[in-house]
Formats: sequence, C-alpha cells, structure tokens
Amino acid sequence: MSSADSSRILALIEVRDRVLTAIRAFFRMHGYCEVTTPVMVRCPGLDQHVEALSTGSGMYLATSPELHMKRLVCDGAQLIYQIIPAFRAEEEGAHHKCEFLMLEWYHTGIGYLEMMQETEDLLRYVIGGCGSKSAGLNFPVPRITVDRLYEDAAGWKPSEQWDEDRYFLDWVQVVEPHLQKIPAVIVYDFPEALSALSQVSSSNSRICERFELFINGLEICNAYSELTDPLVHRERFEHAAQARKAFGRKPYASDDLFLKAIEHGMPMCAGNALGVDRLIMALTGTGHIDEVSLFPEDKDTCNGLF
Amino acid sequence: MLDTTALRKNLKIIIDGDPWIVVDCQFVKPGKGQAFTRTRLKNLIAGHTMDRTYKSGEKIGEQARIDECEMVFLYEQGGAYAFMDNNTYDQVELNVDQVGEALNFMTENMNVEVDFYDSMPIAITLPNFVELEIVDTEPAVRGDTVSGATKPATLSTGYNVNVPLFINSGESIVVDTRTGAYVERVKK
Repeated sequence: MSSADSSRILALIEVRDRVLTAIRAFFRMHGYCEVTTPVMVRCPGLDQHVEALSTGSGMYLATSPELHMKRLVCDGAQLIYQIIPAFRAEEEGAHHKCEFLMLEWYHTGIGYLEMMQETEDLLRYVIGGCGSKSAGLNFPVPRITVDRLYEDAAGWKPSEQWDEDRYFLDWVQVVEPHLQKIPAVIVYDFPEALSALSQVSSSNSRICERFELFINGLEICNAYSELTDPLVHRERFEHAAQARKAFGRKPYASDDLFLKAIEHGMPMCAGNALGVDRLIMALTGTGHIDEVSLFPEDKDTCNGLF
Repeated sequence: MLDTTALRKNLKIIIDGDPWIVVDCQFVKPGKGQAFTRTRLKNLIAGHTMDRTYKSGEKIGEQARIDECEMVFLYEQGGAYAFMDNNTYDQVELNVDQVGEALNFMTENMNVEVDFYDSMPIAITLPNFVELEIVDTEPAVRGDTVSGATKPATLSTGYNVNVPLFINSGESIVVDTRTGAYVERVKK
C-alpha cells in the first residue's frame, strides 16, 4: 500500500470514529438506550423493491432493523437506537452498497414533525462533533412537501393524481436533479401509496406522515409517524406481498411475532432510519460511497452494477 | 437482447439500429421505489450524446458486433487522424470526436486498436499502458522518493499529469490510459 493510501485510510478511520462517537453521545445525552437486534432474520421486511440476501434455511440478512426494534417499542422501550449493518441485494452504485451501516431510532410519544426537529438537532450535533465547519448547511433546514416539490420540478401533484411509474421516472429525471441544487431540505408528506409502515395523515387520507432529509440531493434518512393500528398493519403486509408477486418477486413470509407484538399494543411513536455512510459522504463532501469505505477494494457480489 | 444488468461504461450497443457507447451509467434508487439506471450514450457514428433512463431489468438493445483491428497511428492533418493496418497497409481516417480522449496519450507510430462497425471505423482504444515523454516540469528534488508528494508535469501530447518529485523534464514515464495516472518511470 502506498503512503498516500495509508494516510487516506487513517484520516477516514478518524472521521468515521468522530461521527459514530458523536451519534452515540447525542443519543446518550437524550436518554436513549442502545440496543442490538438480529442480523439474521426470518422476515426481512415488506418493501416491494427491496431484495434481501438469503442465507439459506429460510433465513435472510436483515434489510433494516425496523420490525425487531418496533417489537422492543411494543415491549415498552421508550427511547432506543442502534447502529447496525443492513444488507440489500442488487444495490450497487455511487450511493448504494449491498452492505451499509444504518442508524435507526425510535422515540415514543412524538410524531414526525417533532422527529424532524430531533433529526436536525442530531445533524447539528454531529457536525459540531466532527469539527467539520457547517458542511455548508444552514439551520433550520428548509422543509417542502412532496406535492409542492413535484409542482415546482415536474408540474403535477402526486397526491391528487397518483401514478407510480410517472412518479419515480420524474423523481429520477427531474426531482432528484432539482434536489441536488439545494444544500439541505426535508421533503415530507409522501403520497399514501408510499406509506410503507407510516401513519396516514389524519387531515388528508391521500398523504402519509413520512419525511426524508436530503443533503445536496443525497437521501440521508427516512422517517415516519409510525403506524400503530394492528388491522392496518395486516392489510399493509398482505398488500405488500401481492405487490411483490405482481412485480415477479417472491413474497416474504409475514412476521407473526411482529404482528402479535403490534396487536398487544404499539404506542404512538416516530422512527427514523439514517444511512451512516451517506451522512459521512455529506459531511466530507465526497461523491461516491466507496470513498468513505475503509475497504473500497472489497467489491460485494450481489449482481449489482459496479 | 441486453437488459440493464449488462450496462457498464464503454459497453457498445445497438439501439434502434444505431451503434452507441455507454460513456456514463449510474445506479439510482429513490426511497420505496424501484431501481433505475441513468445512462449517457454517445453515438459511435455521428458523435452526439443522449441521456436515457432505464428501469432495472428493462431491455436496452442488441450487443454491437464490433470488429477490432490493430493499426498504427500515422499522422494528423486538418483534423483527420490517419491509421494504417500493419499487415495489409490499408489506411483509414477518424475525426477528432471519434479519437476522443485517446488524444491525451496518443503519439505518432503508436500501435492502437481501431474499432469497426459495419466496416466503418468508429473509435479507437489505446493500450492500457503507454510510454510518454515529459516535456515540462519543475526540476527534480533529490533523494525524495518516499514521501508520496507529487508535482504537475506536461506530457509531449500536451496532457498534464501528476508525477513524483524525482522525475525530470526529458524523461519518459508510463501512463495508465484508462485513468490518466502516472505509473512508473521508464528505466533507461
């Protein structure tokens, strides 16, 4: 290894350590407990477009710790977080890696608006903790609804005339390029069809209480007012299984332990999943996820693009 | 028929009857959405580019049948670049767009690969490593062979590279034509 390579790695070890230390300090300061959930799971989620890596014997590597962390919330845990590797097959690119580091946290008693504030507080704390100037960010971070964003960038309102193909094609071709020109923005109130496990808005049934934070067009996190109703949970699982089938993908087994926990009772809460590698990219101004990896030469093999 | 899994930089592909080369491709996946590949393609005959976005798994086109022929670069005259087949002495000409970035590293009498589509020369590929002379750089710093520090240097083609401090003007170096990076000094 050349001296230039090793000094790059040493600098990166330090940056990653500062970010992880600041994240843990922030959550400790706010009364959170760090938890660990299984990496090998029987039900890897319900997302139509997320493929889990099978480990054989009906088990998968977790695509996210969501379902297990929510079981802890149902058990009565009020403030929990963890930093855990997540695995998604067929995802490889400048902003995607088959294995990546995820920060996920749940805060009971609050909704997505308070979660937006908490996310900004975390961001500000981490930026301070790694001594990076402001990373070009100003607080408070501006907020825009999905409808408004699409009206500005693509000339239509997704919640009023839902068209999934058009929505994502426009996202890739005009909305994301539009977001790349904005240092930081919180995009919120997604169309109901993209609710996943978020709460539908009480004032407008066509939107859900979900937000994503973007830094220079890079999606950093995805958060919800979490769905709590057990019947709606069952509907969403069934609907997701059908959507996967219709798309030619194998539906995953439904997670009975999770559904049982929800039936037992899930408190009102907000949850957030944040890509740690992407946060480090944003803080260091790098354009490719390999540039913040300590082992960029270890290429994952998951049939993706390199 | 090729689909998006075949997409990579420098793939040559026939789309609607025309040969294209992939100059850039990016994996994009919006939250809760399906994956896409954003591509920039260059028409191998006319030289213009177009941007296309494909859904993952979508069919794109046919694999282009490209014939490759080893030729020597003879000279440039009025924007036309002449190459000769070493066996048949046949000559062909390419324009500046077709020669493209190879210009940064190509010198007369260099052996290159010329790509033909339907008997038309459309592009060239340089060897991965070529030797080129440094025509301008700061004088060498003695003894400094370990620090990893570099300085700018101009090649005989006019292209600028970063080289270690111990390299002098008039010396030749090996350059990686895929990245444009310095590889090593040519021992005399």
